[in-house]
Amino acid sequence: MNELRRRFQPEQIRELVLIGLILALALFFSTQIENYLHPRTFTRISTSVAVVAIVAVGQTLVILTRNIDLSVGSIVGFTAYATGTMLAANNDLPPLAVVLMAVGMGAAMGALNGVLVAYGRVPAIIVTLGTLAIYRTLLVEFSGAKSVLTSELPRWLVNLPPLNAFSIGAVEIRLLFLIALIVVIAFQILVTYMTWGRRLYAIGSNPEAARVAGFPAQRMVFTAFLLSGALAGLAGFVFLARFGNITVVAGQGIELKSVAAAVVGGVNINGGIGSPFGAFLGALLIDIIDNSLIRWLAISEFWRNALLGLMILLAVATDTVVMNRLRKAWVRHELQTSSASLSVEQGGARHAT
Amino acid sequence: MRKTTTLLMSLLIILSMLVAACGPAATPTPTPVPPTPTPTPQPTEAPTEAAPAEAPAEEPTPTEAPAEEAAPAAEVVKATPGQAVKMILMPKFLGILVFDQANQGAQEAHAELGNPEPLQFLGPTPENSVAGQIEILTNAVTQGIQAIMISNNAGDQIAPAAKAAREAGMTVVTWDSPIPSAEGEQVFVAQVDFDETGKVMADMARNILGEDGGKFAVLSASPDAANQNAWIAALQRVLEQPEYANLELVDIVYGNDQSEDSYNQALALVDKYPDLELIMAPTTVGIAAAAKAMQDEGLCDTVKVSGLGLPAEMLEFTLNGCAPQFALWSFKDLGYLTYYVTYLLATGALQGVEGETFEAGRMGVYTIEKDPTRAAGLRVLMGPFTIYDASNVEEAAK
Repeated sequence: MNELRRRFQPEQIRELVLIGLILALALFFSTQIENYLHPRTFTRISTSVAVVAIVAVGQTLVILTRNIDLSVGSIVGFTAYATGTMLAANNDLPPLAVVLMAVGMGAAMGALNGVLVAYGRVPAIIVTLGTLAIYRTLLVEFSGAKSVLTSELPRWLVNLPPLNAFSIGAVEIRLLFLIALIVVIAFQILVTYMTWGRRLYAIGSNPEAARVAGFPAQRMVFTAFLLSGALAGLAGFVFLARFGNITVVAGQGIELKSVAAAVVGGVNINGGIGSPFGAFLGALLIDIIDNSLIRWLAISEFWRNALLGLMILLAVATDTVVMNRLRKAWVRHELQTSSASLSVEQGGARHAT
Repeated sequence: MRKTTTLLMSLLIILSMLVAACGPAATPTPTPVPPTPTPTPQPTEAPTEAAPAEAPAEEPTPTEAPAEEAAPAAEVVKATPGQAVKMILMPKFLGILVFDQANQGAQEAHAELGNPEPLQFLGPTPENSVAGQIEILTNAVTQGIQAIMISNNAGDQIAPAAKAAREAGMTVVTWDSPIPSAEGEQVFVAQVDFDETGKVMADMARNILGEDGGKFAVLSASPDAANQNAWIAALQRVLEQPEYANLELVDIVYGNDQSEDSYNQALALVDKYPDLELIMAPTTVGIAAAAKAMQDEGLCDTVKVSGLGLPAEMLEFTLNGCAPQFALWSFKDLGYLTYYVTYLLATGALQGVEGETFEAGRMGVYTIEKDPTRAAGLRVLMGPFTIYDASNVEEAAK
């Protein structure tokens, strides 16, 4: 038990539990749905989770700092529409430039959120609720009631969703899913091993202490919003590739889905706890439930959403109850060992993670 | 103590967000349904015998059916051009192609009738559709607007504002989507008849699946979308007839008029029913997402897509065979006809009572009739459907 305590933090256990839950669900559905354990099912779910997973990573960065970014839905819609329009007008734009444009546009919108929250000292929920509406209105104005049409887009973009990056046996890893995976891994490394990432946790767990310790909290909150916007921009590009036809309602509701994914994935809404990988697992779990329920003949359409909501509520409830106990157990253990070895500071620091 | 309160508060917020995030019914924004016609007060039970059963559209080719289906002997009212009427055309919200097309049609009629006042195209943004519509209507009264044409997205919530506008002497006409209780509304310009929608869908299924028929599924909007439910009910009634016996409707699923959900649902249908041959989507969002899903997964050879779609959005899929045939009415014509009806009412040429017959420019003669889908409402039925396939979709997509 002590060995286990030393090797794992409560948050890692939570991630393991999520993985276990995902496997258990897959096992359960495989007994209920014909041909469920087919490589096809993996393709369906992996391609469907890509957009939300990318946004959820950005959302996690922001929530870690004890803020929230509700404007991401409009940023996804705006960048999907704007890059789509540019591509429709000029089919020869190089793919990399298009991706950079989407990311840049998202970053600019995220930067506005960041300035207002970090330097303007306006609560994030108010700022981003405002920009959610503003960015959507800009999109409506900008669109002039035109839609982005699949037939006007270059072939490489329309053919992007089925493009296979590589295969493991019969399981295809599609390029769009690979992009999401790379984003998750990159940001997981950032928050686990880089100073900047570690400081995000400090700011979220105890802003006052972080300020006293001399962390550039304002600049970091600003950057978190900027990154969240940039990732929403990238997700906008994936959204465009996946659906082709883009109207002014594109991306509506993604802000809530990304928050849901983060929270189910163990990101604490009060900041300081959670990880991009957890948020990814949260997005995956929700998507698996969703995509399996629509294939399960035993469940009617009308109950599906209620069941999905119930499962998510359960996940969150377990989080608050079980995780609090776990954390307390860990802290108690830390205190015992640290008082024995007289290294109280270390115990406190570990608690912060 | 404070910490507990904050924790409780934030938990509450998350919970409500989660619920909102997963349930499509709780989506805060207005129905993002471009061409969503005619919410009826009684959803699923569309009129069984009350509806006029002209049943045209036997051919797969464009059915520009006659406009003067029901012209009784009564005198036909004609518009006197050149009269000044300040008018507003209000869509559900701005930024949607079909509403812009309706505006084009209305502007065409506006120019034709030589109304010296400008015709304004005013609407709310998607996020603010319901409150925005009511606000525009309320402001129109104080601004001296004489007539307003509404594609209602606010249900009966708009009725008090509409009644106030009527009392102030304004002409209030609805198009595309009526006021369910019909309060405050003079006439509803309906795009198509529900029963005809069912027949058109059944005919397209038969055309695509061929004589030996096959299995097909319906991908609809949300489970509580009144129009779609009524159309599907009409489709099911048509399928009971012997000539459609080979068509088997295996499932009805809902994509909530969101690209993501519709795309996933279309693929789930294919997985659930390995011998499925057709997905019928009576929603423009659903049909485009389903076609893209079939194209992405290389399934177009085995599973076809059909339903109600926009030519511009379906162009790619119709030309490459994923969606060989689909249907829609002309929103341009709908705007044109709506303008005529409103102009005639505002200038006093029409009184807005049952049985009045009038001429609407290039579209011919129409009659104001009882709306079979709403107890208190009057309607002008436009119709018919245009069926699009590879031969005419390019022209229509322009």
